[in-house]
Amino acid sequence: MSTAVATLEGPGGPALPPGPSRRRRRVKEAALAYLLVLPAMAAFGVFVFYPFVNNFRLALYQSPPVPGLPSHYVGLHQVGQVLFSNGYGFPGSLLTTIAFVVMVVPLSIFFGLALAVAAHRRLRGIGVYRTIFSSTVVSSVAVAALVFGTLMNPVVGFLPWLGINPHPPLLESPTWALPSIAVMTIWQFLGLSFIIMSAGLQSLPDEVLEAARIDGASSWTRFWRVTVPMLSPTIFFAVVVGTIYAFQSFGQIDILIGYANNPARLHVNVLVYNIINTLTQENNTGVAAIMSIALFLVTLLLTLLQLRFLERRVHYAR
Amino acid sequence: MPVDVAVGTARGPEPGPDASRTKARRNRRLHLVGAYTVLTVAAVVIVLPLYITVVNSLLEEGQIAQQPPPFFPIHPQWHNYSTAWNQGHLGFYLRNSLIMTAAIVAAQLVTSILAGYAFAFLRFPFRNTLFVVCLATLMIPFEVTFITNLSTITSLGWFNTYAGLAVPFLATGFGIFLLRQAFLQIPKDLQEASMLDGYGHWRFMTRVAVPMARPSIAALGVFAFLAAWNQYLWPLVSTGGTTPLDTVQIGLKQLVGQQADQINVALAGAVIAFVPLVVILVIFQKQLVRSLTAGAVK
Amino acid sequence: MRRPRLRGTAAAAVAISSLTAVSALGLAPTTPLPPAGAASLGACPLKALSRAKGPVDITFWESMTRANATTLQEITNAFNSSQSKVHVTLVAQAGYDDTWQKYTAGLSNGQLPDIVLLEDQRTQVAVDTKSFLPVQSCINASGYSTSDFLSRALAYWKINRTQEAMPFAVSNPIFYYNKLAFQKAGLNPNDPPSTLAEMITDAQKLKAFGSGMGLKLDPWHLETWLATANQLFVNNKNGRAARTTKATFDTATGLQIFTDLDQLVKSGDATTNPASGASEFDNLLGIGSGKYGMTIDSSADLGTISQVLSSGQYPNVQLGIGAFPVLNSSIPGGIEPGGSGVFIPNRVPAVDQAAAWQYMQWIDNTQSQATWAAGTGYIPIRKSSTETATVQHLWTVSPGYKTAFNQLNNGANDAATSGSVIGPYSDVRADILNAEQSMFVGNLTPKAALAQAESAVDATVASYNQRLGAS
Repeated sequence: MSTAVATLEGPGGPALPPGPSRRRRRVKEAALAYLLVLPAMAAFGVFVFYPFVNNFRLALYQSPPVPGLPSHYVGLHQVGQVLFSNGYGFPGSLLTTIAFVVMVVPLSIFFGLALAVAAHRRLRGIGVYRTIFSSTVVSSVAVAALVFGTLMNPVVGFLPWLGINPHPPLLESPTWALPSIAVMTIWQFLGLSFIIMSAGLQSLPDEVLEAARIDGASSWTRFWRVTVPMLSPTIFFAVVVGTIYAFQSFGQIDILIGYANNPARLHVNVLVYNIINTLTQENNTGVAAIMSIALFLVTLLLTLLQLRFLERRVHYAR
Repeated sequence: MPVDVAVGTARGPEPGPDASRTKARRNRRLHLVGAYTVLTVAAVVIVLPLYITVVNSLLEEGQIAQQPPPFFPIHPQWHNYSTAWNQGHLGFYLRNSLIMTAAIVAAQLVTSILAGYAFAFLRFPFRNTLFVVCLATLMIPFEVTFITNLSTITSLGWFNTYAGLAVPFLATGFGIFLLRQAFLQIPKDLQEASMLDGYGHWRFMTRVAVPMARPSIAALGVFAFLAAWNQYLWPLVSTGGTTPLDTVQIGLKQLVGQQADQINVALAGAVIAFVPLVVILVIFQKQLVRSLTAGAVK
Repeated sequence: MRRPRLRGTAAAAVAISSLTAVSALGLAPTTPLPPAGAASLGACPLKALSRAKGPVDITFWESMTRANATTLQEITNAFNSSQSKVHVTLVAQAGYDDTWQKYTAGLSNGQLPDIVLLEDQRTQVAVDTKSFLPVQSCINASGYSTSDFLSRALAYWKINRTQEAMPFAVSNPIFYYNKLAFQKAGLNPNDPPSTLAEMITDAQKLKAFGSGMGLKLDPWHLETWLATANQLFVNNKNGRAARTTKATFDTATGLQIFTDLDQLVKSGDATTNPASGASEFDNLLGIGSGKYGMTIDSSADLGTISQVLSSGQYPNVQLGIGAFPVLNSSIPGGIEPGGSGVFIPNRVPAVDQAAAWQYMQWIDNTQSQATWAAGTGYIPIRKSSTETATVQHLWTVSPGYKTAFNQLNNGANDAATSGSVIGPYSDVRADILNAEQSMFVGNLTPKAALAQAESAVDATVASYNQRLGAS
């Protein structure tokens, strides 16, 4: 670092006389650059890329049912078992997770958009409303889970007052547990959805909307024919973010369902929940590694798919 | 730019100047009332769960199971908060969360500034490749890497330690992206001028680049704080739960388990965990929005 | 350019999936079946303690709450002040599951206790970690006499004649009912049902008069009723003679149990609630509120529920306690014990292990067990404890506490009534619970549900054994 400081040259460097001094400066610049990126790269290497690659190695070993005993090599045998049979619940988890994503994402986007449009006005006090609408973005899954867990609690919650007395209670019902958790997740994601949609709306050029209004289009037509198509890059971004986020849900299920004898447990077995339990409760590192790789591939696939298909529909303003 | 709500004036024939003006004013008022109604209803629906949480946290034990549920605590039991703080060890959990979050935010800011600076201002072989590598880390979710990360920190002896809590998050591709973006905005003439003034890289970075990129750095800081504070998975597995090192999020889970019948105390804990963040939201809303929409709007 | 790329990707996908599918079809290598109990006894390092200079500090991981925690602290304080060689510190855990998770994490990160209270169903898996010192070793080394103990309480934690751990907090299921509700339904309030069949008819009558039965979805219904009929739950003498390999409950007896339970629930005479979560105590609290007239639950809850029901909030309740209604009163079976036992890890220093043994002897001695029984409602597992003034007084004042003891003391003492030893016990119980749910809420007949349970349990056990044998 001291050599760089000592030189009279700043960033980028102007045209220098060619020759060895220029080469030396380039080398110094490169050395400085590598030094600056080293901390980040080292962190990525140890905590992102190495673990990612290590999953492939772990996938080839069968773990003992209790920790402390050695694992042994089984090759690809385990991979087939995990992915294609329901022995570890992987296909089931995948379907449950997809169902969960379908429950959470479209509604979150829709409500976020609706709120953003409603708040996209020059009204007095609109700032307060906008803050309220974004507020759920700061809630953690733990807080949101606790809040909604209370609401849906059969004894202390609000459902009996509304006349809804489900038996078994919502969070212990094989049918209603997942949708209930989806409602909580929608609420929590709403803040982010609102923020994204708002930002998108604010970047839209007024002239087009103005022109549509002067042409006599009704609000509804304006919304669907003009606003939404122009917002499509933002909507698309929100869908991608929301899908990845919903796909990786874990905390709320852990808090609201736990691992004990909750009859709903098998019906809320989303991928990450399955992976965590496989690792910590069943000590099955190999199987957990396989499911993690599958999770990565599915997320990647989803993102690529969305990039390909949704982008075709995205209307880019010329 | 927000769209003005003065709708309706351009529609239809004009019946006459006074009549149309009153009609327009009535229309406008109707629209205003309608708009405020919609907004208020939406706001109430969103805030309602939080409001109920706060109300429940102030109820007595006997009142919690009351039907119909009370909407306002007549005798607010403020001691629920002190119970959550003491028996629920929330003070400890908050401290742990704070230490972990501070370490992560500081580390992420430093690594992102350094790497972002290099990518923006320096020329070196493989620059583009390395940048893509940084972005690639965003494609690998933490749920995929935590298995090995857990055994890494265990073998380093960092299981159930602050180091173990913070260490996997020292750098973030998002931060590097954001800061490189911010540094690239600095005009070239400024660079050349400082160079002529005899600034080396270090001085340029600290005296010029970083101050100019302050909005993005603030945005990154707020985002990183939020992400680290609200984390659930890693604190859970890296401390094994039920330890003095639990963060607030895991602490809430313990609170729920241990005080199953004292849900008012558990909710007091949730409020304690949530309030600091709301404060941050209100103060740093602009920075937060900026970081969250970094990829949405070009 | 799109088509060739897709083709390539598709080809790759097909290749990978066929490769893995083929390997999945391939037979798993056959692995040897490890023995059930500990392979070797190991040495009980008593001498280390006698050689120790200062007091030895040890930690006890336990998960007792409220009154139970207070009583345990009392007993521990008594131990600490009775001698100066060993000092025990209690470290409270959030629950049985949490304790086990922390213990297994400790096997990797080195944070282990010196003595730990483990749930009954963890016995085999604990032995399988090869990280515990079988208590038999210390029994032999110090000439400890176990003749005073209730034989089934010891038998639960004994595998293949080796005492792996000592019982400590032992309980079994009993029958709770509201005498006033019984009266109202025309039933004799002093004659609780003694068989499952009687329980069903009583539930019917109670339902007709406004209450009914609360049925907690505990996963041990099947095995407990099998034990009362002296039938094995799994093979190899419930896993005690050799490692268990398959379930043995798909029999006429098992079918009768499932059919009876199905009838109970489907008829509406009994309402179910989960065994964990917000509604965990609904069956007991329902007796208080009048919703239910009777239920089955662990004897360990007796103390708490007595307190709650006599608090004055529930006026129309007179709590009655009965024995667990057996399957068939003519078959001499027995109620299996449950609860938790104390284990000594073998990876802690030798002197700590010896100190743990000292403490273990204390908490299981006559007076401690008497104090424990009176303060918590757990069963006093030593016959001499039942003769102490403490326990005699308890049984006079609240005869309900004696029920659990009688159930453990009476009945046949064999493998079928001593409970099972299964590695993946919690998964096995979850399999059974799932099958019951498919029957109660889904559309399965009792016969189909029982078959599903058996095949699920077989698969669970086989997978566990294969993974264990291979390592």
